Amino acid sequence: MHIPDGFLTTPLWLSLDVVSVPVVGWFGRRAQAGTDESKAPLLGLMGAFVFAAQMINFPVGPGTSGHLLGAALLAFTLGPAAAVVVMTAVLALQALIFQDGGLLALGANVFNMAVCGVLAGYLPYRYWGAGRLRRAAVFAGGALSVFVAASLAIVELLLSGIRIPGAILGASMAVFAVSAVIEGVITVAVLEALERINPSWVERRPAEARPAMGLLALASVLLVTVGVLFASAAPDGLEKLAEEVGISGRARALIETPLADYEATFISGSWAAQAAAGLAGLLLAAALGWALARMIGRRRRA
Amino acid sequence: MHHVVLDEWSRRDSPVHRAEARMKIVGALVFLICVATTPRIEAPTFLGYVLLALAGIGLAGLPLLPLAARAAVVLPFSGVFAAMTALAGDTERAAAVVVKSYVSALAVLLLVATTPLPRLLRAAERLGAPRMVILIVQFLYRYLFVISEQAQHMRLAARCRGELGYERPAGWRIRFRGAAGALAVLFGRSYERASAIHQAMLARGFDGRIRSLGVPARGLRRWWLPAAASMAAVAIRLAGRMEFPWPL
Repeated sequence: MHIPDGFLTTPLWLSLDVVSVPVVGWFGRRAQAGTDESKAPLLGLMGAFVFAAQMINFPVGPGTSGHLLGAALLAFTLGPAAAVVVMTAVLALQALIFQDGGLLALGANVFNMAVCGVLAGYLPYRYWGAGRLRRAAVFAGGALSVFVAASLAIVELLLSGIRIPGAILGASMAVFAVSAVIEGVITVAVLEALERINPSWVERRPAEARPAMGLLALASVLLVTVGVLFASAAPDGLEKLAEEVGISGRARALIETPLADYEATFISGSWAAQAAAGLAGLLLAAALGWALARMIGRRRRA
Repeated sequence: MHHVVLDEWSRRDSPVHRAEARMKIVGALVFLICVATTPRIEAPTFLGYVLLALAGIGLAGLPLLPLAARAAVVLPFSGVFAAMTALAGDTERAAAVVVKSYVSALAVLLLVATTPLPRLLRAAERLGAPRMVILIVQFLYRYLFVISEQAQHMRLAARCRGELGYERPAGWRIRFRGAAGALAVLFGRSYERASAIHQAMLARGFDGRIRSLGVPARGLRRWWLPAAASMAAVAIRLAGRMEFPWPL
């Protein structure tokens, strides 16, 4: 799901570009932190590996084949920070020389696949990557990385005014689920083959003491993904529900708080007011992204 | 492989090829932003963007049809979503999405078809792109075709050993594990090649920065062309309707 240019509304691609650049820069410094030796050759070659992996076909059912997408596998082998950077490099090259995904939309694609895809894929492995559930964690990581990235892309398209009928939306969610399962199975198979060849290629995690935290995080990732998807697919439905419950006014204020007047100024206000509202939104999004990245990084270091 | 043609195009010579790479990136971004912020596609505006892109292609001396065909790789994606949007009643947005995505792809293609990738990446770094990412993209591009060729050899070797023989019902399991094993071996080879490369680089005095000998000369004619093109794009944008297409 590489989004080309021309699809996303301006505030969306702009804010995702603004968020993605510092986040990726920060992960880049984290990936390099701790070693004196340059990781660039390794990460570059791993990016080339992700490209080349598309040529190895896995049989999945009669007459069809799938291939590895790789975000989760990279996170399990190189660590999440390095995986984010490698996937970003892969997406940048795809946008430039294969016209796969737009240049202005690169921030959105990086956010979906490189940042959220990798982090969501790493989440189960972080909490259950050591114990009895290791295999399930690897599978869930591979599946989650694809599902979260694809859902985010759909959400962004819906937010930008692309209409997707309910039936087709359901069907495409089913397709995402199937490709998520395929990615999960392939990730498990490749990771186990890797461990047979050389166990030191795979990141070993000590057993995590707080699986409850992991469960909470996993549930919230799924809830947010599916919830945002439903909300953006049927915003009217959400409003109707609120009305029926009789809290319409308050609920709406709650939902739209940060930029409550965005729409109002959009219709009646001056250009300067629009620009100010947009800028405020951007700053808010950038601050949120930065804070999130810091938080994740700190927890990982601890 | 089809990348090779891009490499060949980008090493030709023309006023567009000779233009300063940083200015070309800025020009392409201005063009893309103009297209992205155009509220709805009206024939004159759309025609203006297309003519501007065509002028660039003509001035660069690139073959029009192959270029147009390459940019068409965005059409399946755009077409599907445009069709759904059109069916839902918003034909205006559907048309806009197809036209915008195609013109944008054409512009990006013009940029990479007139600037060799190493020069493009160096210019992006000087414009402030994260250095680590640029360095990795450089390595990725250098070894992409090496590793891909290795993958092709492995696939061929698997065929020679009779991979296709496993057609019986239980065969897919074996083939699946075979493919996983092949990927693991490819991973290992990439890993080891990376450490060999790194050692060779250290032996040659690598200090974290890739230097190049080609210092781009500066001169008026090196930047005026992209600057003129981006001003034309802005003019086309401003001549159209002055409103902002932010359906939030």
